[in-house]
Amino acid sequence: MASTSGLRTTLSKMAASLTGLLKPWTPRVLLVRWSRYNPYYLEPEPRKEVYHIPETELTPEQKEERELKSVRPIKAATNSVTSSVFNDPVLSKFVNMMMKDGDKIIAKGIITQTLENMKRKQVEKYHKAPEGKKAEIECNPYAIFHQALENCKPVIGLASIQKGGKFYQVPIPLTDNRRRFLAMKWMITECRDNKHRRTLMYEKLSQELLAAFSKEGNVVKRKHELHKMAESNRAYAHYRWW
Amino acid sequence: PSLTLPNIPSGCGQQQEAIGMETRPETFSIFRTQENDPACQSEQHLGQYYTVPPSHFHTVFPHGLPPRYQQQVKTFNEGCVMVRQPALELISHLKRADYSKPTLRYLLYGVKGSGKTMSLCHTVHYCSTQGWLVLHIPDAHLWVKNCKELLPSSYHASRFDQPIQASNWLRNFRTTNEHFLSKIKLRQRYVWTKRESTEEGRPLGELVDMGVSRVKSSSDVVGAVLKELRLQAGGTEGGFRLAVAVDGVNGLWGRTTLKKEDKSPVAPEELTLVHNLRKMINNDWCGGAVIATLSQTGSLYAPSSAYLPQELLGEEGFDSMDPFVPVPVSLYSEKEFESCYLYYLDHIHFHHWLQHPHSQTEEGKKELIFLSNRNPSVLERLCAFL
Repeated sequence: MASTSGLRTTLSKMAASLTGLLKPWTPRVLLVRWSRYNPYYLEPEPRKEVYHIPETELTPEQKEERELKSVRPIKAATNSVTSSVFNDPVLSKFVNMMMKDGDKIIAKGIITQTLENMKRKQVEKYHKAPEGKKAEIECNPYAIFHQALENCKPVIGLASIQKGGKFYQVPIPLTDNRRRFLAMKWMITECRDNKHRRTLMYEKLSQELLAAFSKEGNVVKRKHELHKMAESNRAYAHYRWW
Repeated sequence: PSLTLPNIPSGCGQQQEAIGMETRPETFSIFRTQENDPACQSEQHLGQYYTVPPSHFHTVFPHGLPPRYQQQVKTFNEGCVMVRQPALELISHLKRADYSKPTLRYLLYGVKGSGKTMSLCHTVHYCSTQGWLVLHIPDAHLWVKNCKELLPSSYHASRFDQPIQASNWLRNFRTTNEHFLSKIKLRQRYVWTKRESTEEGRPLGELVDMGVSRVKSSSDVVGAVLKELRLQAGGTEGGFRLAVAVDGVNGLWGRTTLKKEDKSPVAPEELTLVHNLRKMINNDWCGGAVIATLSQTGSLYAPSSAYLPQELLGEEGFDSMDPFVPVPVSLYSEKEFESCYLYYLDHIHFHHWLQHPHSQTEEGKKELIFLSNRNPSVLERLCAFL
């Protein structure tokens, strides 16, 4: 993996210098999926606000960019890119992680059913709650989802490092992407494995997400156990060299 | 000579001020109306939501509402129905029809999800507030598919009985029409087995109870009930009006997915329930109305783009239903869409249904219009997870 990314960076550097010489040649048959586009191609812009800025308010850089876009070819946008106001990148990532065999329709369906289920449970709870408690109940399923995911993200992780023939579990800092990935992965595996066989996925997910929102449940427990392991292995922290 | 039946005094308009003040202080929402009686609703209430009084809810609708709507009622703790053009048209026809002539048949048709079942339920609510006897068959397709037990009929050699479906329906019929069961007397003697029979002059309630308890003969009981009601509906002494509301009427003519023991397919005529229901839908009796809905959703062997009566009823069905009054049900108009959007957005009644912050903006609304194409059921499903 490192070699191809290195190749890509050198190529883009070459491309930056060779841009004047590259021609926008497209073969007749273009494979779009898993393709490495000719670096001459530009990224698509899905956001609507960019196109609504009137001519007068454009900065010189934006004007230049528009000029460039009118001459250069643009890469095809992937299926998951939308200009919708309801687009949520974290949710899209979760849907992709839940997807099996490329069946995004089923994964997206499960997530929408989960959101609906969470909202119904919270609204029913809201109606039954006494007047004082009503303001505390969160009914927005997106807010619950984001908060639950935040509560599941580990702060510190463990890496297996070899020193003197033995492997030690060393506490290491995690990047944001890795933390988000771990939270989502734990949520999905927990729901797939540790629940009753006959409950449907959206039911399991909504229960787990609501529990994580209030900092209970198995996923937060797993996060705490990871933290405890890291704390107990503090002595090996010096084995990390980066 | 036309029938003069006592019109139920409803005091439209007078009682509303009294009720309007007690529970909620707001009475001026654009999308809600305080006129909860279908008889008094008119064109000025088009697009507004009225609430079905909670006391009536379980008696009038034990079955027959779409499942997603039932979930919505449970979540919101109230059942609100929108007053729409097709339902108002039907109700005005029912008000002005001549009930000494043979029954008129009304057929609601439209694309999937446009609100046919809800319009039917609105009309059923009107009929029950006016004191009619309502025969509501929630879905005729349930009688022609997924039947676990198919008994050969005792009454007629070549027909089949469906005990579970028949007894379920009788139970719900009993809930809807409690007060009629003791008033209607049977005009004929029915013999069920060598030892059991129901005499002439017994109340209808006894027959229905017998059908619910003796599951084996429940299909024949259904047939007997339908026959009695048909004979007595137009009667001058102690007469009542009979509303036959059938959802998914295209299931009665077509094919079934049921099979006999030798794996040959069962035709709908060979089922007792379907046979008796077809006799009800014929217009050879008077003193009531038949309101039917087409449905592609539960139908068998029908393409999903079919919604017109000719396509869904088939030749046989169309010939039996002909002549009927077609009532088209269209998608939401702009005003109705506004009303629905405001209903879901309602904060005063604390629905908290549209929660996504962007769904409450203009952009979000435009996107909802685009995604749902103003189709009521699609809009409902979208707003459910937003």
